[in-house]
Amino acid sequence: MKYEAVIGLEIHVQLNAATKLFCDCPNRPGDEPNRNTCPVCLWFPGAFPRLSREALEKAVLACLALNCTIQPVSAFDQKVYYYPDLPKGFQLSQHHKPLARNGWIDIAGENGEPRRLRIHHIHLEEDVAKLVHETEGRTPISLVDFNRAGTPLIEIVSEPDMRSPHEAMEYVKTLRGQLRYTGSAECSMEKGTMRVDANISLRQEGSSGFNTKVEVKNMNSIRNVGDAIAYEIRRQTECLEKGEPIVLHTRLWDPDKRATAPMRGKFSGPCIPDPSVASIVINEEWLNEIRGMLPEMPDRKAARFSGDYGLTPDEAAAMSLERDISDFFEAAAKSGAAPRKAANWIAVHLAPALRDRGAALAETPLSAERFAALLSLLEKEIINPQSAKEVLLQLLATDESPEKIVEKGGYGQVSDAVELDALIDRVIGEHPADVADYRKGNAKVLGFLMGIAMKASKGKANPKLLREILAKRLG
Amino acid sequence: MELFTHRETDPAAVSGRPGLPLSGRRVVIQPNMSRRGWPCNAGSRALENYTALEDAAIIPRLEKSGAHLAGNSRMSELGFGLSADTTVQALIEKEADIALMTDTMGEARVAAARAGIFGFKPSWGIVSRFGLIGLVPSMECYGVAAADPADISGVMQAISGKDDRDFSMPDGELPDFSQEGKTKTGSRRAGIVKEMLSLLTDKDRGLFRENLKMLGSAGVEVVEVTFPEFELLQTAHQVIAAAEASSSAGKYDGVRYGYRAPGAKNWNDMYLDSRGAAFGTLVKAFLFQGAYFQFENYAAFENACRVRRRLVRSMENLLSELDLLVSPTCRMVRKDAAPSDVRGAYEEFILTLPANLTGQPALQVPGDPAGDCVGLHLTAKRLDDSRLLALGRRLAASRGAK
Ligand SMILES: [Zn+2]
Repeated sequence: MKYEAVIGLEIHVQLNAATKLFCDCPNRPGDEPNRNTCPVCLWFPGAFPRLSREALEKAVLACLALNCTIQPVSAFDQKVYYYPDLPKGFQLSQHHKPLARNGWIDIAGENGEPRRLRIHHIHLEEDVAKLVHETEGRTPISLVDFNRAGTPLIEIVSEPDMRSPHEAMEYVKTLRGQLRYTGSAECSMEKGTMRVDANISLRQEGSSGFNTKVEVKNMNSIRNVGDAIAYEIRRQTECLEKGEPIVLHTRLWDPDKRATAPMRGKFSGPCIPDPSVASIVINEEWLNEIRGMLPEMPDRKAARFSGDYGLTPDEAAAMSLERDISDFFEAAAKSGAAPRKAANWIAVHLAPALRDRGAALAETPLSAERFAALLSLLEKEIINPQSAKEVLLQLLATDESPEKIVEKGGYGQVSDAVELDALIDRVIGEHPADVADYRKGNAKVLGFLMGIAMKASKGKANPKLLREILAKRLG
Repeated sequence: MELFTHRETDPAAVSGRPGLPLSGRRVVIQPNMSRRGWPCNAGSRALENYTALEDAAIIPRLEKSGAHLAGNSRMSELGFGLSADTTVQALIEKEADIALMTDTMGEARVAAARAGIFGFKPSWGIVSRFGLIGLVPSMECYGVAAADPADISGVMQAISGKDDRDFSMPDGELPDFSQEGKTKTGSRRAGIVKEMLSLLTDKDRGLFRENLKMLGSAGVEVVEVTFPEFELLQTAHQVIAAAEASSSAGKYDGVRYGYRAPGAKNWNDMYLDSRGAAFGTLVKAFLFQGAYFQFENYAAFENACRVRRRLVRSMENLLSELDLLVSPTCRMVRKDAAPSDVRGAYEEFILTLPANLTGQPALQVPGDPAGDCVGLHLTAKRLDDSRLLALGRRLAASRGAK
């Protein structure tokens, strides 16, 4: 029998609002434990929650970016359960009346076909505290850090529209891109500011019913989301083939074993309308104000980049995936950099360098103007590509101008034929065997000797000129 | 038994500020109303040794009006019922002039009725609950008891009004108590709910008819009306209040403050032991009922919420044709022992709890000074608090003239 996977995702995203959802404590869970707390988020008796306007704005921006319809009235419920990470004995969440409904995300399917994946709803909720269990020592103890308690989250619940690990990963990637664009969330699975839970069930291919689903949690990268889903599809297929029934339960992904294992059943309590937090009533005027804050989103931007700057579809997509990169690209182009050259240098050199440093563009001193100036030095053959790479790395660390760095570091390209001639003389003199080899017809040696000569010039030789002279001299 | 659990001894605070509406008036509050630095255990072991960190919204407002905060009285656990309450006792013993009491089922009004004084519950939401350690957020409020209704007006003028720390307060205009002394009460119509009468004994009814004469001499016309679902008011109150109480008391887990049972092996045992030892029998029974509706019978809770919305409409409809509803404040016959079960606790407040469920202001007016303690209970339209208190003053004046 041929099975088809039915996948739905529930994604928690931490909003990057300055404060927690219901109090003025800083939204910085990573600070020294219990530093960012107050009577409200510790739920001292007599405290009153007060919804943060900024968190609401960012949540609404996120919902709009995911094509959802903002509900005119939404309200908080108490998700009741007892656990030390929950200061109230309940979590404030929106169960009955979520903030937004009916959104979608467009992705390219496995074979490049367009797929529209629907979002069921998005709701606001507060995060819980962090528990640290210390089992070492004579008495095992549990410590509670309330810094995270009450920080603002949105939960994005998809329809069960995905059919493969690929689609799930594309959904997460696109969703992350959209949300980052709005500036309302960081969405880092590694740092835990985005958490993805997957619901997976199988059904006979061609049927339209839904079977018992299994929830998988604890994936810490998009790749792990795909791997965990693929594993779960295999596991469930084997179960069905052995005639074992699928039981509703939750499993944890183990990234080391690359497998899922069942977790102890978590008690799920009721959701009761909260009598104290006021309902959120959104009027059209305010909503339009927030709509006005929505930036140009990746799809539209990519189309414009193709049109305005002559980028290929792939280049345009790469340049519009992240908002900071897209702004940077456009500013560089406007500062006079050749657009395709700029796109190429950003994708091939700048992006990997940022990844190596684990830094965002904004965290480096590099500006689009200085980047454009660097490309212009390259264009004018004042420096060669190898030096340009060196200078680019330095631009990430200092705020000196590229011209100054070139001058100070002596990166200026050597285009003086006499100087290069002398250099090649020396190289030929030092490698008689290789020269003979070349002359016997081994063309590959030219590349080797080019490397030696370039190295002898400390990387500064004009490569075009160097190759010309070398070829002529060996000729 | 000690009347006060805490008494203000600072001479500066004791004298109060002169020349203000409440100057010279001594106010006793309950230990669930946060007063910075005062013990604030809400009458429960769950908050053993807990001291308020900041003032409730009403505290600076009272002080600004010249009131002298005399101290904390004893209160029933978490403000549920009157079994252990000594707040009004402080007035009887002339230790204070005005009592502030949490009113969830009618505690302030019933206590006032028994003491033969005035007791008032404002419209829901017109006094900031910031700093009130409550149990049933959608029903509870600060109730005020005093021998002189002018003192109640004075307190209401001081403590009511917008506060941006309590987001549950209604939008729009709130009652203005400052002009209350001058308010013309005009001709008024009061309705007696037929279905309510069937809850009274002959003796209660007789006393009630006696007390109604007060209204007649104040020019209030009394008519009989029907409220077919009257009995549902108590059921809806109990189901919703219990569920809200269960949520509100969820924070008493011994993790951050209050009582923590020693020697537990893990956090789960710590919860069970701490909560098991912290709550008294009555509150525990109430919380159990709430947890039952939350976890086992959510449909009944939802039903109660639907019924409540219907009852609010019925009540508003009735009051749109009348100015007031009138009943006794409590029944004459009651058990001597404090009730130990939830049903028994509710029995005492059967005539006052409708106003808590549906949000109207209500006033207990002492009855014939000859000595009954059932009082007259007047319920007015939402936000019509000021006119209700003006009527109370007129009734007090006519009583004094007799
Ligand atoms: Zn806080």
